[in-house]
Amino acid sequence: MAAVSRSLRGVRLPTRRRDWRLMGRTARLVLTLPTYAAVAVLASALSLTAFVVSLNVPIVLDLVLGGSLPLGSRLTILGELFPFLGTNFTAVQGLLLIAVAVLTGVDIAMATYHFREHGLDLQQGGAGAAGVVLGTLGAGCAACGSAVLVGLLSLLGVTGGLLFLPLEGLEFALGAVVVLTLSIYWLADGMRGGEINGCPVDI
Amino acid sequence: MNRRRYLTLAGAGVVGALAGCGGSSGSDGASGGQSLDDHPAAVNLEAQPRQGDLGGNVVLAFEDPSCTQCRRFHENTVPDIRSNIVDAGEGAYVVRTYPIIYPWGKPATQALEATFARSEGAFWALFDHYFAEQGQFDEGNVLDRTEQFLSNSTDLDGSAVVADARNRAHNEAVQADIAAAENADLPQQTPIVLLFRDGQFATRANGSVSYDLIANALGLG
Repeated sequence: MAAVSRSLRGVRLPTRRRDWRLMGRTARLVLTLPTYAAVAVLASALSLTAFVVSLNVPIVLDLVLGGSLPLGSRLTILGELFPFLGTNFTAVQGLLLIAVAVLTGVDIAMATYHFREHGLDLQQGGAGAAGVVLGTLGAGCAACGSAVLVGLLSLLGVTGGLLFLPLEGLEFALGAVVVLTLSIYWLADGMRGGEINGCPVDI
Repeated sequence: MNRRRYLTLAGAGVVGALAGCGGSSGSDGASGGQSLDDHPAAVNLEAQPRQGDLGGNVVLAFEDPSCTQCRRFHENTVPDIRSNIVDAGEGAYVVRTYPIIYPWGKPATQALEATFARSEGAFWALFDHYFAEQGQFDEGNVLDRTEQFLSNSTDLDGSAVVADARNRAHNEAVQADIAAAENADLPQQTPIVLLFRDGQFATRANGSVSYDLIANALGLG
């Protein structure tokens, strides 16, 4: 616990231009590996699907998974739940949701890479290791964090009240972008000094 | 922290998040297959604003005139429902008001019910007007603007309708719609679209869903 507290005190934020370049380079290097590129694509697709399905679970249970509609109708109904295919989201909402899904995919691919290839040792890793833990937890939360939030808020009966927010609930998607960006930075920071696919991570 | 401990920690986070996803589903599958006559959301349906005939497919929408998602539903989906389902004799589009979003939706709903009590045609005109000019309304001006619209664009006496709205003369009808939503365990959001295929409940759609989704759900795709 003390080690975690020490590590948390040293957690950094991406405040410099080189931090952003580090994030970009690390993500790019990880995604050049076909396995991790596939992980990223799969995680992105799953997170977006989890979110849109969570908003319309009855349709999916009644008509896509259950019921007696032909396969074509089931696929059409499922597709219509997604941004830009259906009409449930504005263009801005759709872009934000896709951005969150893409960042989630990159984040999960990086966390998977870091753990599988480098392992983790808090004594050696310091802030980077804490960042990886936070980053991994962040990736798990962000995969369906907004869905959880919508569920919790509807349990409290305040879903309609979300529309009182200036951006009518988009604040949560923007929050997810911030969390994911931090998570990716912490993961990249944790990989600093190492190599990915034979290339040095440090810029 | 060793590899196993890390895995446990990370796994707990992911599983916790996914468990939250599952918990947010809130499906009301219990209503699946229920007939229109027995469904709690469809109580007293014959007395609601309706376009098209009951007896076949029914698109029952709970809407709030102040809700931006409902406005998009009206812009993107309702015209196709009117032309491909109502006008084609495939079924009916029925509206129940559910004022839960912005405060001006409540007096607007009182005005809608006061209008509907006098003229169904004027109700649809006012309903469409609220969505078309949605950004212009607030709690302070909605009834004045309503009076202007009704007096200028319909045969009704706008001042009489607005007087009824201020006195909540048709509050019973307003509360009946809210009670129908609550008795059907609908979530506190709009629009909510209940789809009945040949008189049987097919599913519930949340949000500004597309006409293609509705058509396929009703077997019209």
